[in-house]
This record gives sequence, structure tokens and C-alpha cells, in this order.
Amino acid sequence: MHEWSLADAVVRSLLGFMASEGLSSIKEVEVTWGEILELDTGIFEQAFYELSKGTPLEGAKLILMEEKAYFRCNSCGAEWDFKTADEILSREFEILEEPAGVKESPLHFLPDLARALLKCPKCSSRDFDLISGKDLRVSKVVA
Amino acid sequence: MMRIPDVLQDEALRRVSRAKRLLMVASGKGGVGKSLISMALASTLSEMGTKVGLLDLDVHGPSIPQIFRSELLIKATRHGLEPLRIDGLELMSLGYIVGDSPVPLRGEDKMSLLKMMIALTNWSPLDYLVVDLPPGTGDEMTLAIRALKKHPRSGTVLITLPSRLSLSVVKRALDLLRDEGVRVLGIIENMAYIRCGEDVVRPFGSLDYSSLGTEVLGSLPLDPAVEEALASGRPLHKASREVMESISAIASKIEVMM
Repeated sequence: MHEWSLADAVVRSLLGFMASEGLSSIKEVEVTWGEILELDTGIFEQAFYELSKGTPLEGAKLILMEEKAYFRCNSCGAEWDFKTADEILSREFEILEEPAGVKESPLHFLPDLARALLKCPKCSSRDFDLISGKDLRVSKVVA
Repeated sequence: MMRIPDVLQDEALRRVSRAKRLLMVASGKGGVGKSLISMALASTLSEMGTKVGLLDLDVHGPSIPQIFRSELLIKATRHGLEPLRIDGLELMSLGYIVGDSPVPLRGEDKMSLLKMMIALTNWSPLDYLVVDLPPGTGDEMTLAIRALKKHPRSGTVLITLPSRLSLSVVKRALDLLRDEGVRVLGIIENMAYIRCGEDVVRPFGSLDYSSLGTEVLGSLPLDPAVEEALASGRPLHKASREVMESISAIASKIEVMM
């Protein structure tokens, strides 16, 4: 459900960008999203195009690029991917998605909480890096 | 060269700027009572008839959930993360999301986490957003300064103890805020005195704050009733008559200044 709020953030940010750069239209925008966010790309696209209607952004083509998540432990050197992370993720804390009533891990909303919710699967250290796959960013704009 | 927009920072600043007034509570020094005073100011401003949100920016030791306890889960809607609504206040803190779990984050990761949390928090239209900053003049204050500089009705109060050590750290924060062109409303002196019947004792002595060039908005007592209220879950700003009157006077000054 956070697809709508994230799409809204992207649209508003791009509209501010267009105003500051003096752009009346944009042909294409590439948005890179981290795997941890678990975006439903269909909902995100729908939200993006819906929220762009009637704005200078209307007509811009959206390209979504998924960035895979990787973790590396600074203590023992182990590396793991999002599938492993999801399996060892602490289920102690949850966020309630409404109106569906589904409980989700806070990690999908706030990926930087990884160190609060995960430990290295090999040595149990919290001193690991989330190398990639956590961000939502505009990676390219074609005017 | 076009500047590719920073989506999350843009959205975080936009969401914060929707509040009519932005009030930052800072110190630079830890353990001076920032969170208690943030909470007490937020509650008092709310009781004065304004709509108030309280944002806890402390990643490593969020205190607001210790004061406003709740078993409720944070909810996510299509508008983002909904702040908890308790006692007429809207509250957001990482402590409501990950409890007492340690959150060992470094600079950039911490900045990224705070940007995302603020970018997703769906406040109602607020008269005041009170922001409780952690100690120090690092990432959290940097982010706060960016927000303060963009907000037309913003101000910061600095909390200190009547101690030269505390004051020297507070002065650094004050200098930083001034260098950045951020409006400082004044300082609040916490744990300044103990009332014993008709007598007032200042156990740490008295300091001359005139060299700071900013107003002393008020002094709060060192009062065991505050800890008792914290333990029993009673409203801290009403812990004792002395505390209540002091906080009310400070909140009234802030209301006039902002």
C-alpha cells in the first residue's frame, strides 16, 4: 500500500524539479527501487500515471528498475541476498496495512531498519552493510 | 547539468512544511530533558487549543514511547504511515516501530532512515509540529536545519542545565543554528532549582546566560514528581503545579513568538 505514497513523492519531487529546471514536459523518467521495498510495480505505475494527470508530468513514460538487495557482514565477511534476509527476519515487529488488515515487516517501509530486524545468518552480528537494494530514487530523466 | 531530485528528502521536507509552525527542541547535550520538555510543550500547546504533532528524531534511544506508551501497531495506508493518536497528540517515533531493539546505524544510513520515516508519515493538518532532536549536532540536526530553513514559521528552543559543561555544548549548537540562519527562540533551563516549602534552592548554582544573546524562556524545577508521573503514566506536564505553571508560561511565550 505504500506504493501510492511513494509514487506521490516521486511525482511531487519531479514537478518541483521541472519547475526549478524550467521544463514544461518530460519524455521519460527512470525510477530505481530497492528489492527490500517489495513494490507492487503495477500499483506503483497506476499511481504514478494517475497522480501525473493534469500536471506537466502527464505523458511522461515511467520506467521502473529493480535493484537487487545484498548484505555483507563486516564481522565475518558473509554475504546474503534478500531471500535469505526475508527468511531470518525478526517477526517481532509489524506494521498493519489498512484497509487490507495485513501485517507487514517494518523493513519493507524503512529498509534502513535492517540492522534492527536482522542479524548476520552466519555469526549473528548486526555489523553488516546493506550494499544495495534499499533506495527509491529517480535515476534518469529524459526531457 | 540537471540536478536529479532527491525524492525522499523532497517529500520529507514537504510533509514537514505542511505544519503551520515547526518547533525544534534541541540541546547538543544528552540527558538534559529534551524529550520530557518536548512532550510537555506539545501537550500544553495542544491543551491551548492547537493541533500538535510530536516527531521523535532519536534513532538510537527514542524516548517518546517511554512517555506515551502504546500497544497499538503503526498503520500504513495509501497516504503513508499514520502517526499514533494519543491524548489529542499525533506521535511518530521509531520506538513505536521497533520497540527497544538496538538500531546501530552510521551517518548516511541514519539520514536515509530518517528521510524515509518523515517522507512517509501522514500528519493531519497541524498547527505545530514539535520535533524532539537527539543529542549532538550531527545528522539529525543537519536534517532538521534543512527543514527549519525552508519553513516560514519555524523556531528552535535549546535545553540546558545550569552547568558550565552543558552550557558550553549548548553554545556550540546555538552557534551552528545561527551560522545556518535558523531562528532560535531562546533557551530553557531545566533542573534549575528545588523548591523546599517556601525556599528555593539552586543546587547547581546560577549561571549568567546573557553572553548567549538569546532569551531565557523559563526555568524548570528539579522535581521528583516528574519521575513519579513517568513511572505511573500520568501526564508529565501536570506532574506538579510548579512544573505545570512553568511549562505553561514557556508555551505561552512560544505561542506569541511563533
